[in-house]
Amino acid sequence: MPDLIMSQPELPGFLETLRLALRLDSTVYVQLQHDALGLIYAGLIVLLAGVSESLGQSVVLFLNRVQPRRFVLALSITTASHTVGYFLWTLTIWSVGSWLTQRAQPWSSVAVVVGLAYAPQIFAFFELTPYLGNLIWGILSLWSMIAIVVSLHFGLGMATWQALLVSSLGWVVMQALRRTVGRPILQLRAILQRRAAGVPLIVKKNDVAELRRHPVRDWYKQLETRRRGVRLSPVRKPRPSSNEQTHVHRLE
Amino acid sequence: MFTDWNDLLLLPLAAIIIFLFWAALTPFETLGWWAGWFGDTIYHDTTENSSAPTITPGAAAETTPARAYVLFLSGIGRVSGQTLSYREQGFIDRLRQRLPDAVVIDNIFPYSVNNLALTGQPIFARLWQWALHRKLEGPALAGYLINTRNMLQVAIAADKRYGPIYNQAMAEVMLDTIMRYNFDPERPVPIILIGYSGAGQIAIGAVTYLREWTNSPVTVISLGGIFSSDPGILAADHVYHLWGTQDRAQIWRFLMPGRWSWLATSEWNRALRQGRATIIRMEGMGHTGRGGYLGRHPAPDGGPSNIERTVETVSAIIEQAVADNARRETARTPI
Repeated sequence: MPDLIMSQPELPGFLETLRLALRLDSTVYVQLQHDALGLIYAGLIVLLAGVSESLGQSVVLFLNRVQPRRFVLALSITTASHTVGYFLWTLTIWSVGSWLTQRAQPWSSVAVVVGLAYAPQIFAFFELTPYLGNLIWGILSLWSMIAIVVSLHFGLGMATWQALLVSSLGWVVMQALRRTVGRPILQLRAILQRRAAGVPLIVKKNDVAELRRHPVRDWYKQLETRRRGVRLSPVRKPRPSSNEQTHVHRLE
Repeated sequence: MFTDWNDLLLLPLAAIIIFLFWAALTPFETLGWWAGWFGDTIYHDTTENSSAPTITPGAAAETTPARAYVLFLSGIGRVSGQTLSYREQGFIDRLRQRLPDAVVIDNIFPYSVNNLALTGQPIFARLWQWALHRKLEGPALAGYLINTRNMLQVAIAADKRYGPIYNQAMAEVMLDTIMRYNFDPERPVPIILIGYSGAGQIAIGAVTYLREWTNSPVTVISLGGIFSSDPGILAADHVYHLWGTQDRAQIWRFLMPGRWSWLATSEWNRALRQGRATIIRMEGMGHTGRGGYLGRHPAPDGGPSNIERTVETVSAIIEQAVADNARRETARTPI
């Protein structure tokens, strides 16, 4: 690794690459695509974006009451699946692009260029922001869409219309794959996620309004019994100041 | 890194990024509670309040049963179940005097899923104690940390992903609290939720669940409330929105698409059309402070002060709810 950096002094560092990729700067796609370091950077960006995205979509794990340790495991499975998704997406762009432009691109160049276009997804974690999550998701999707078109245009020398066509066709092909030959892979992912989570992931994101913490209507009777049978004991030592909540008691 | 950017621009950018980080991390408290990471406990502050409530919690039911349960949910300035505002305290005292038959409760902290005060939180207690001291003694800017934190909880309650979870938690806290004052979920005693400012959203959000668990009619009084178009609006028996003509904070409603008048199918607009939500104009009242809903200074023309007018309006609504309930009960009882 250090040798690589030493021998290529004109190449930007990782953070600089990230910044340029976020700004959709045309130079970064050209500079990095023929370099092994480019592949590493692209891979790092994809990995970071994957972690960020899995965190951003982790709500569903909580809804299914995953335990803390399992939560981390389930997140890593999702991240791994994002990375597999990146390889498939690269493969799709590569084959559709080569077919459409009648020009064989080296696979590694495509991998670098597509990987750099993942940069905006590094912020996917912010989709968790309450109330503004949808807005942030929209902005990031638009940003990523523009990023892939720009990267194909500058990085692989496609005309703008070609870049647009390749990315949209690529998307169509990916969707078709998901529904056909990709099914076993998706099923495998679902099994892995279930195993990692340790609980059946039955509840989906859209079910949240129907979720009830207590299945029975008169669950409140438990509140009474719980309270009657217990003695209050302080959790924190009382403090002298009178203005703070000093006597927090818990029921157990 | 980022050296070619304008340094002046970097500061607000850093502030925005830090805020976004904080905001994005906030839901983990609610989500973790749902996943059972923090246990089932509902915390209660047992410090005695300066003003004695009409019934002490857990007291024997030999006193005459309450005719209504009034839960006051404080604005976003609070750190615990205790109020920091003498105006709010004055409001509660007056309401208790005005409605001797009702149980008026204000010792819940509506910005925490398990009623745990900020100053009692496991990791950040010291930070919040510091912020509380800054709020009380200045500089006030640090105190705004508390308001921001609580505002984010309001955003959680309004969010479609987290709202149903957060609102269930709050409804649980509310039910647990009123049951400590001898509330019986089987008896249809009216529950009135008063949501001040951001707590308007919390009050409306909890209604859906309170209605499922109890036989009581639930009325919401939004005191200059900031709320989205939540399904709770249609679950409530009636929503009264007290809207001061000088209340600038009401501009926040434009952030809630369901409150826009042209989105006719939103819960809020449907409730308005069906006459199940009423907007009550409060002449000359602002959001907080001297000229606010709870301002105690007499009007320039010698008329009643803002707090007196607010107490009167709120009491009239509560009396109406009690009367309606009594009428319904009489109609239901076989002769």
